[in-house]
Amino acid sequence: MILTPGIIARLAVLGALVAVAQVVCFSKMDIFGTSPDVALLVVISVGLLGGSLTGAVAGFSIGLLIDCLLLETMGAFALTMLSVGYVAGRYRETLGRPTRAALVLVGGALTLLGALVIAAIQIGTGIDANVSFLVVRDALVKSLLGALLAIPVLLVVRLVVRSALVDERRAARRTPAPRPVESG
Amino acid sequence: MYRKQVRRRRAVLLLLVAASLTLLSLYYREGNGGPIHGVQDVVSTVFSPISSGADRALKPVRDLVNWFGETFDARGDRSKLEDQVATLRDQLARNQTQQHEAKELSALNELTSGGIVPDGTDPVTARVIGRSPTVWYSTVTIDKGSSDGVRIDDPVVAAQGLAGKVTQTTPVTAQVTLITDADSAVTARVTPSGATGVVEPDVGNPNDLQLDFLERGARIAESQMVVTAGFSTGDLGSIFPPGIPIGKITQATVEEQQAYQRVHLEPFADLRDMDFVKVLTTHSGGKKG
Repeated sequence: MILTPGIIARLAVLGALVAVAQVVCFSKMDIFGTSPDVALLVVISVGLLGGSLTGAVAGFSIGLLIDCLLLETMGAFALTMLSVGYVAGRYRETLGRPTRAALVLVGGALTLLGALVIAAIQIGTGIDANVSFLVVRDALVKSLLGALLAIPVLLVVRLVVRSALVDERRAARRTPAPRPVESG
Repeated sequence: MYRKQVRRRRAVLLLLVAASLTLLSLYYREGNGGPIHGVQDVVSTVFSPISSGADRALKPVRDLVNWFGETFDARGDRSKLEDQVATLRDQLARNQTQQHEAKELSALNELTSGGIVPDGTDPVTARVIGRSPTVWYSTVTIDKGSSDGVRIDDPVVAAQGLAGKVTQTTPVTAQVTLITDADSAVTARVTPSGATGVVEPDVGNPNDLQLDFLERGARIAESQMVVTAGFSTGDLGSIFPPGIPIGKITQATVEEQQAYQRVHLEPFADLRDMDFVKVLTTHSGGKKG
């Protein structure tokens, strides 16, 4: 991904919108007892399209904004999304563009990774109460939703940053131009 | 060239991780008036009108998705009603939204006007505009803040019972930590037996709470109601006024080895699906909503 000021601005607007939408809308949805983590999927998509550095910075920024919007422990979601964005980017850098099937698996696995990181932070900062087994179910259902939504979210993010994608430009150049129709 | 890129990538990653960890540790170390809390307040205040507007605008979408979830649960009726529902879906979602809000507000008013609100308390009605995306933080954000008279530690009630307490405020928003949060503990009394204990959460399970430190001899039975105890000892006192319904006992078993009894209860308030809450403010000043 070629990061021009225009693309950075687009990513910033997308990040701000998705952070607000996550807090006011997606987190309040109830699908099989949990809610989809669309903000995390956007970070995964940015990482898969732009690489580890872009993924990490996008994850840190969106996570920090969610921390601020929720008045939660500053740095908790930032660290979680930064880790997930970085891993998604490293996947892209080492294994190349994921196929559709791989994308579903990556979406599910990285959503699960996000749930594990936030759990580790919460346990690391101290927890006095009992922890229900339902936490595990929540993480698994969330990762299942992550797998289901990975492709549509990636398509939306790709649409936003399409002009900056090197692979798609090359693909467009390889496509032969239509022959002019001879008349007369 | 490649090595330079790798070095740069590692440096940025280390910088971001260090920034996150620094923020985390500073946040815990500083008080509520510290600079990081200040930055959070400013960002939350700036985004509050956007969040509030987006919450209202996206509510039909949310309700539509939730409606799909509920429909999935009612599979038996689904096939019979599918055609009919398809045409009425949008209209139904809108109507249900309005009806749900009116019902919730009405229940809230009934609860707070039923004598549970102590004298000198001024309930402020607030809309829930944000929710944490993880089960580890059972908090919600409301659209009323310190300029509306909301202060830290003010009790918060939902339509059916106790919801939690205010743990952070900005001028226009506040964070409510729910009774299902890992940090929550509420002194409570079982009615009619009068036994008292501490209500604690079962993290990750919003439908289960535990009433701990009950005397072993206390007679506790299923379906008994648990309300806030609201104790007061000298200068020390519970922040929750007495008599606010919390939940009903679902499981009461006595374990032989324990010095105290521990029972399970189900909260009355549907903490995953609240649109409105009332903050029981006790301070004068600020406009009331």
